[in-house]
Amino acid sequence: MLRKIIHGLALILGVTFISFLLMVWFGPDQTYTLIGKHATASQIAEVRHQLGYDQPFTRRYLDYLVELFTLDLGASNSSGEQVSSILKRTLPISLALMLPGFIIGNLLGIVLGLVAAFRRGTWIDRLITGLSVTGMSISFLIIIIALQVLLSTPYGFNLFPVRGWRVDNLSSYLTYVTVPTLSLIMVTLGYNTRFYRAVFVEESSREHIRTARAFGASPATLMGRHVLKNSLVAVSTRIMFSIPLVVVSGSLLIETYFGIPGIGKVSFDAITSGDQPILKAVVGLTAVMFVLIQIVADFVYRLVDPRIA
Amino acid sequence: MLLALGACDGGEQTASLEGSYTVYRHSMDGAPSNLDPARASNIYANFLVVNLYDTLYRYKYLARPYELEPNLAEHLPQVSVDGLTYTIRIKPGVHFIDDPVFREGKGRPVSARDFVYSIKRHFDPETRAEGAWLWQNRIVGLDEWKENGADYKQEVTGLRALDDRTIQIQLIAPYPQLLHTLTQGFSAIVPPEAVAFYGKELAVHPVGSGPYRLLSFNTASAVMVRNTGFRQEPFSLKNEGFNPALQSMYGLEHLEGLLPPFMDRIEVEFIAEDAARWNAFIAGELDFVKAPVSQFDQVLQSRDPPMLKPALADDFHFQASLESGFVHTDFNMDDQRIGYHPDPGQNARNKALRCAITKAFDWEKRNEIFYYGMGQVFAGIIPPVAPEFDPDQDKTAISRDLITARHLLRSHGWNAGNLPDLEIGFTSSVTERQMFEQFRSFMADIGYPRDKIHPLTFATYGDYAQAYLNREVMLMTIGWTMDYPDAENTIQLFYGPNASPGSNTANYNNEEFNRLYQASSTMSSSPIRTTMYRKMNRIVIEDCVTISGISRKLILLWNRDLAMLPDRSFLGGHFFRFAGRGEIKTKNKARR
Repeated sequence: MLRKIIHGLALILGVTFISFLLMVWFGPDQTYTLIGKHATASQIAEVRHQLGYDQPFTRRYLDYLVELFTLDLGASNSSGEQVSSILKRTLPISLALMLPGFIIGNLLGIVLGLVAAFRRGTWIDRLITGLSVTGMSISFLIIIIALQVLLSTPYGFNLFPVRGWRVDNLSSYLTYVTVPTLSLIMVTLGYNTRFYRAVFVEESSREHIRTARAFGASPATLMGRHVLKNSLVAVSTRIMFSIPLVVVSGSLLIETYFGIPGIGKVSFDAITSGDQPILKAVVGLTAVMFVLIQIVADFVYRLVDPRIA
Repeated sequence: MLLALGACDGGEQTASLEGSYTVYRHSMDGAPSNLDPARASNIYANFLVVNLYDTLYRYKYLARPYELEPNLAEHLPQVSVDGLTYTIRIKPGVHFIDDPVFREGKGRPVSARDFVYSIKRHFDPETRAEGAWLWQNRIVGLDEWKENGADYKQEVTGLRALDDRTIQIQLIAPYPQLLHTLTQGFSAIVPPEAVAFYGKELAVHPVGSGPYRLLSFNTASAVMVRNTGFRQEPFSLKNEGFNPALQSMYGLEHLEGLLPPFMDRIEVEFIAEDAARWNAFIAGELDFVKAPVSQFDQVLQSRDPPMLKPALADDFHFQASLESGFVHTDFNMDDQRIGYHPDPGQNARNKALRCAITKAFDWEKRNEIFYYGMGQVFAGIIPPVAPEFDPDQDKTAISRDLITARHLLRSHGWNAGNLPDLEIGFTSSVTERQMFEQFRSFMADIGYPRDKIHPLTFATYGDYAQAYLNREVMLMTIGWTMDYPDAENTIQLFYGPNASPGSNTANYNNEEFNRLYQASSTMSSSPIRTTMYRKMNRIVIEDCVTISGISRKLILLWNRDLAMLPDRSFLGGHFFRFAGRGEIKTKNKARR
């Protein structure tokens, strides 16, 4: 455990250092979006000082680490709002938005992967693989716009709102989350199915599966109890390490096109405007979550595969 | 379920949206990031700020050309004979909204001292204000107040509250645009208690005395609800400049005598993506949209005069108006390859090169391909929406003339071999890239080698601004939105002392132009001043400093059941308080 924590700290330091380096060297200089129309050289210098751009890199990085470890994340340079307030406001929205698509997309991917692996080489396998590749090939943006037009406008069925997030009960939640969730499933299903199929095909070719077949195990038992169960390490790894991205990054395109005020849009705006307090928080939070996931993953592996213990 | 409820948007009371509760759903093609008046630097922020806060003045809702109208001010100001002292009385009994920043949470009366404080904030470095330029070197003692440490206890000679309701402004020199600056969100009145209480978070916790108060604000939308304590001033068509011949179809007569604001709630959706904005409007989720250019052919039956397609005309009002600004491409005069050169001979050759490029530019094609042929191309830097625009101006400068362009190059010794490499700056986007390629094809027609015209792309607008404000971009395209209806606002873009990092991004410096600008800058509107403006316009054209310009046509659509006339010009937004629906008539009369 101690080793994990030390590795985790090293990971956090590494990620934050590299990302901060990129922010400072290659990120936009926010001074020029904050100075207004008729700036003078002294006003530019004033703003640069306020943003801390005139401080040495090492000092700024150390300040960042202190902010991260004390959870004093400061205020957004653009809006002035406390970063902690922004995260508190947007993270639950992104989570509520992404979770259904994430869960359904993975469950469907597992089921389709199992079917394709079991029927390997048959037309069913080819159909599932073909559809997966097709799904992976279509632009996310096209899927979003097509679903909006089909499900949310008078040009189509006009069943759901085109955009927005006015959620105050389960019914309104389902109303607003359905089309984004469908979009997310359509995009991720291809990737998930291809990945899980490959895992299950590999597992299916092992000796113990042939033994189970020889014992006359039914297809459901074979795929459920033997293939799926023995693939759970790979499956859980993929799911767990996707969680930080789901929680923190949200989905920029979904949030933008559906007008949902989650963390994805906030992060994107921060990247394009160079709002470093927000970026630092998002990067730091993602790194911390990866470390936590790593620690949790050890327990999960032991749970799903006693051989690891 | 718990997660979903945890992610609800601030506990809004959508359940109360019933009966005569009126809601107006507005859309914008961008989002404000900050609602602090001192940082309301774009049209999106201004729209909200002028509804959440009070300004001393505004423009009459319906009068065109624009006319000033007292807002929080009781009357137009008393101005001294020398034009240097303005005395302004504010209306009695106006209160800030109830908010925890005040004692017992009750909004206190707005006083003249609040205005003085609000303007001083722009000169306090801690505010990081973006509007100080409006009053910089204009008000006696204000710049010195900043230099002396921005201590709010120190009085500024030229900016005083004579009593609770009287403001006195003393100017260093006549400033005819002063009242225009007092219509803008930048001049909105903020209580000091709110700044002390919320600090930087004032940006998301507005505490004003405007017609609305903020319910929620995020990257996707803002929701405002009626300020029930807003002063009761019956709506008067006559006073607002109603023109029955042009405006009778909008149902505004129904509102006569009612008390603004007419809507109980205003929902503003920030939708930058054209397709999403248009789909939401067509699906009935929005009451108002600025039609994207990509949809013009779906919306319009004819371009000239602009007419809606019958299917849309049944459901929507529409208005086709020019933007209050323009798009222009400036040469960086500080760049010796294309601008000023110490060698007079090379200087003349550079001017000939700039003029040849300007002559080769095909405005007709630019307008047709990127603005659906509906923009108004004009010569120079006074856009059509400015009162000083000359509708009979000489169009030579915007007429493509390849023969003259080629002659200019030849006669000044330019050929494909010695033409300088041109670098055109822009932010990375498909449209900008297409415009660049079109520019390159225009130049190919005068023999400018394609491989000598390069894109200089920037990932973000901030990067682009940094480069051109540091004089690193050879040719830069800028869109300018006018701050007030006075061509001074665009002419100053070419005034020498305003060179980068100021607003004169072309770094143009012409003695005659500067002299005329200085002389006209203290003059009130008059035929003489207009003549001077037009002369400056000609100087810029003759010096071939800019490829200019075009004012884009805005197609605004809104639901027919709304009684309103939306307006985006000159930062806009004041019209929200006058947006009404048919059913409000009974309700508001009952309220009175």
